[in-house]
Amino acid sequence: MKRTSFSLIQASILLLGLHLAGCNQSGGDGADGQDKIVVGVSMLSMQNEFIVNVADEIEKKADEMGVELITVDAERSPLKQIEQVESFIAQDVDVIIMNPCEVEASSPAVTKALAAKVPIINVNSATSSSPTAFVGSDDVESGRIAMEYIAKRLGGKGNVIMIHGYMGQAAQLQREQGAREVLKKYPGLKLIAHQSGEWDRAKAMSLTENWIQSYGSNIQAVFAHNDEMGMGAVKALSDAGMKDKVVVVSVDAIPDALQAVQKGTLDATVFQNAEQQGSKAIETAIKIVKGQPYDAQTLVPFQLVTKENVAQYMK
Amino acid sequence: MKETLIAYFNRSAESPALPTRRIGKYGIFLAFILLCVLLSLMTPRFLTVANLTIIVTQVSINALLAFGVTFVILTGGIDLSLGSMVAVTGVVAATFAHPDDYPLVVPIGVGLLAGVLFGALNGFVITRSKVAPFIVTLGTMTIGRGLALIISKGRPVSNLSDSFNFIGGGHLFGIPFPIIILLVAFAVCSLILKKTVLGRYIYAIGGNEQAARASGIQVSRVKMWVYTISGLLAAVAGIVLTSRITTGQPNAGVGFELSAIAAAIIGGTSTSGGSGTMAGTLIGALLIGVISNGLDLLNVTSYYQQVVMGAIIIGAVVLDGLNRKSR
Repeated sequence: MKRTSFSLIQASILLLGLHLAGCNQSGGDGADGQDKIVVGVSMLSMQNEFIVNVADEIEKKADEMGVELITVDAERSPLKQIEQVESFIAQDVDVIIMNPCEVEASSPAVTKALAAKVPIINVNSATSSSPTAFVGSDDVESGRIAMEYIAKRLGGKGNVIMIHGYMGQAAQLQREQGAREVLKKYPGLKLIAHQSGEWDRAKAMSLTENWIQSYGSNIQAVFAHNDEMGMGAVKALSDAGMKDKVVVVSVDAIPDALQAVQKGTLDATVFQNAEQQGSKAIETAIKIVKGQPYDAQTLVPFQLVTKENVAQYMK
Repeated sequence: MKETLIAYFNRSAESPALPTRRIGKYGIFLAFILLCVLLSLMTPRFLTVANLTIIVTQVSINALLAFGVTFVILTGGIDLSLGSMVAVTGVVAATFAHPDDYPLVVPIGVGLLAGVLFGALNGFVITRSKVAPFIVTLGTMTIGRGLALIISKGRPVSNLSDSFNFIGGGHLFGIPFPIIILLVAFAVCSLILKKTVLGRYIYAIGGNEQAARASGIQVSRVKMWVYTISGLLAAVAGIVLTSRITTGQPNAGVGFELSAIAAAIIGGTSTSGGSGTMAGTLIGALLIGVISNGLDLLNVTSYYQQVVMGAIIIGAVVLDGLNRKSR
């Protein structure tokens, strides 16, 4: 716990430094890394609980393996992320792990690293140019699992509402794609409204409140692209006394959501394994540096969490 | 209705002095009523007690912030740290709001205190350093966000007590509690502005700081008050938000300062200070809330909402300019 906040401070100081300098100077003493492997890690956002979990796991594994980490926070800005990767290249790190901010906009970071002959691993989400290796989960699958669950609960018939993440991000695009694939399979399921809740609980709550006004009891199910928004929808539905008539499913399995599933307020969440994504990413990175055989694509499977099996996911 | 409006605007073109001033003053009220009428014609779901209650509840957080920043803008300043203060105070309050930990006064008290201290820090640096409020609060905005992340270790603070969750989610006499908080805050802020010495000094400083100083007003002290009040109201907003979503989020409130400033400006608060009212700011906040609710009801994507909002802000500032030219 202590270490998390410390690395957050470190990351912010580093970022502030980059900011103030206005350019990407290589950080002073650089890497003398003959003996110790140095890994540069750029994360999408250290303000997101799931991402923090992935970063924590990378750090834990790196400690175990005696690897030096430089972890920075891109604060959701693809531009900042590219600058960070450039700075890693300048610092001559051995390998880069990137948790991309955006499909297209973070792509140049991959291209630049590969051009500089620094292997780069994408963790958690994808970019359009392909990296040395990818570790993550197929987000299309999570959308599919969630919507299949809704279809099952509603017997293939009913009105569904979808709350998107930030439009254009890989997770949003793929979760929507998966959900729509299932919707096509069940002509009885109708998507009556969908909009972006920007991954935010308060926004999703307001959105759902407004939808309750316009659709009322015509809403039978809600699919939110992440748990934060799912919890917002649950809160709005409970306040309106409608929760027991509406099925709500979201993705990520954050502690809050697991508790809600156990209590029965949230019907289901889809577990994305942060620990495995983090550990597989750093393992793959080390294998690449050491010249050992590695998997170019490691897919960590999603799992549906309902009241029946929630206990095994709670710590 | 339409004819009289056209006549009104035509008249203003002929004799600009008096009528434009009136449009500047009442234009926002007029626009607000017009928008409500329009929306009730477009969807039967708009003009219902339930929907209006939801709008005011949703607006309450932005309105609280907007009241605070109205004081600040009236003195010719600005406060960009509002959103970060919401996050800090929310996370701080949540930390003390776990069930069976402390009585309810503790999370509320500590949260409010955090806001007061943060606001006072803004005021202190601004009055002592003579650095522009824009720069100082831009700095404290970043500091605040960092503090919220440090306190919460980057994770949402959840599992809050039922009594704490009442603040944002409960009802009193059938009225959502945030609305009651909003009304009390509105009454108190209006009183401060209209009936107290502090209020008169605030207008005086915004009107002409040199003259205010020459006439013996302690400008620094008034500014300290103004930023501290802004911090206090941001803390109230932070606590209401945290309670409403039943979790303290370190990344809550990003961009809230802009909506609050927009509400104040749409409501007729002059960007150069010296003129504006709390009633105007309240209408400004309601207008933003009604637009967002109405467009949701009509199932218009949020992208268009942003375009509309931007146009309205510019319109309001243009009106403000016309208004001042005519004086």
